[in-house]
Amino acid sequence: MLIRVPKSWELPESAATPESAYLLRPKPVVPRRDFLKTIGTGAAGLAAASLLPSSLRGATAGFPTKVNPAHRDPALKPTSYELITSYNNFYEFGTDKADPKPNSQGWKTEPWTVEIGGLINNPVKIDANDLVMKMGGVEQRVYRFRCVEAWSMVIPWDGFPLSKLIAFADPKPEAKFITFTTFNDPKNVPGQRRPALDWPYFEGLRLDEANHDLSFIATGIYGKPIPNQNGAPLRLVVPWKYGFKYGKSIVKIDFVAKQPRNTWQVMAANEYGFYANVNPTVDHPRWSQASERVIGEGGAFGRRQRTLMFNGYEKEVAALYKGMDLAKFY
Amino acid sequence: MPANLLRRKWVVWVLLVAPGIWALWPLFRPSPSDADPLKSALLHLGLVAAILLAVVLTFSPLRVLWPKWDVAQALNRHRRLVGVAVFAYALLHVVAHTLHVYDGGFATLLKELQKPFQLTGLVAFAILFVLTVTSLDAAIRRLGGKRWKNLHRFVYLAAALTIYHQAAARKIFPLQVVWIFGPVLVLQAARWWRVRRNKTATA
Repeated sequence: MLIRVPKSWELPESAATPESAYLLRPKPVVPRRDFLKTIGTGAAGLAAASLLPSSLRGATAGFPTKVNPAHRDPALKPTSYELITSYNNFYEFGTDKADPKPNSQGWKTEPWTVEIGGLINNPVKIDANDLVMKMGGVEQRVYRFRCVEAWSMVIPWDGFPLSKLIAFADPKPEAKFITFTTFNDPKNVPGQRRPALDWPYFEGLRLDEANHDLSFIATGIYGKPIPNQNGAPLRLVVPWKYGFKYGKSIVKIDFVAKQPRNTWQVMAANEYGFYANVNPTVDHPRWSQASERVIGEGGAFGRRQRTLMFNGYEKEVAALYKGMDLAKFY
Repeated sequence: MPANLLRRKWVVWVLLVAPGIWALWPLFRPSPSDADPLKSALLHLGLVAAILLAVVLTFSPLRVLWPKWDVAQALNRHRRLVGVAVFAYALLHVVAHTLHVYDGGFATLLKELQKPFQLTGLVAFAILFVLTVTSLDAAIRRLGGKRWKNLHRFVYLAAALTIYHQAAARKIFPLQVVWIFGPVLVLQAARWWRVRRNKTATA
């Protein structure tokens, strides 16, 4: 007898969207190709972008986003927008995961200037929206997200590959690392008035890690501008690393020669390293990393799943760490 | 008035059970807006256990420091009941944690128990278990007053372990530990000083 076991990613026929509903889905007002032409005209492009329905905007000013099929694994079931935007670690806005959402409402992220500097040929101070236009708009990628606290989500990020920004900055040969600095605004941000962490938040990557195709700068979630509590308007996304590497609300990107420290390493070097690669075989000193809780699944009692090496991106990134002792370089 | 109410057993029962009902609430909401309700519940149960442990440890210093205060007298009638409630909440906390970590096997759980953060919690729980079992009248008679008293002094070790356990539970030091156990330390220090002074006065 043949018993067919459905694959975890298989959907029943009943879950398919009826064609009539599919055809009714919102379409971009400006087709993508035309949009790319339009952005060349600067302000006019922005005006056109702001006419788009909000569901299709991926940055502060609103940019049409398009799913990148290479980063849309049908086996990944995205976590609900509600949970992604209400369960956050963002100590600038409070240390409880429910704090950032209420505490960050009304905090101004527009206009937003980001400074790109250090060992590069093209240092600039640039408006976040202008930067997105320079990067050719945004695309959507669905990535796994694994927090160092052993919980996980699946997040549809909108944004652009970090490699594009690096090409734009044009690093000098001496540049070996890249750093990301979060804002410092104790006047308007309650958490920064207390010395919970060594403000401002600071993160870094090796330049080859940053240039990897998976490294991403997010400007949106689910096609909407990224909310304040998730790190508006520009947030680093490195899906094979623990969530604390994803520097939020970036104001400064620096290219440097020496390996930088990062905020959590400064706080507790025995618990958080520079690499912070997701690794089920290397435990946190206080808990195991072998499995993770899937946020929003399985009802009240939840569901746990095995954590994958490099968070499931082993095939793509393992070569970056060839020959390295990952228990030492955690 | 508060002393009259606190003397009654049912009042104390209500005060002890109420925070537990609140802990279960997030588990039964139709659509959990809370991303991890079981974790919220387990943290809450642990917090209640820690608070009640701190509360029960203030009873005897309060009586020594203010022997004529009727509230202190009323509270001392319920030391055992509150102590057993500490164990009950700690037990629920351990059960919730076990469910939370269970990932199809117990290997993760056992591995984690060896880490100081979790080991301290486990040892504190084991002490509370022994103290609860020996809180029956028969056990007191069997052990004899002196030995029973010495055994039950282990509650201070359980409290010290709980302080470490609670402080290590967060990525940065949680100030709540100071709010919960600070008053106990102050009162215990005052009692120790008072008892010492009385001893030298009578000598």
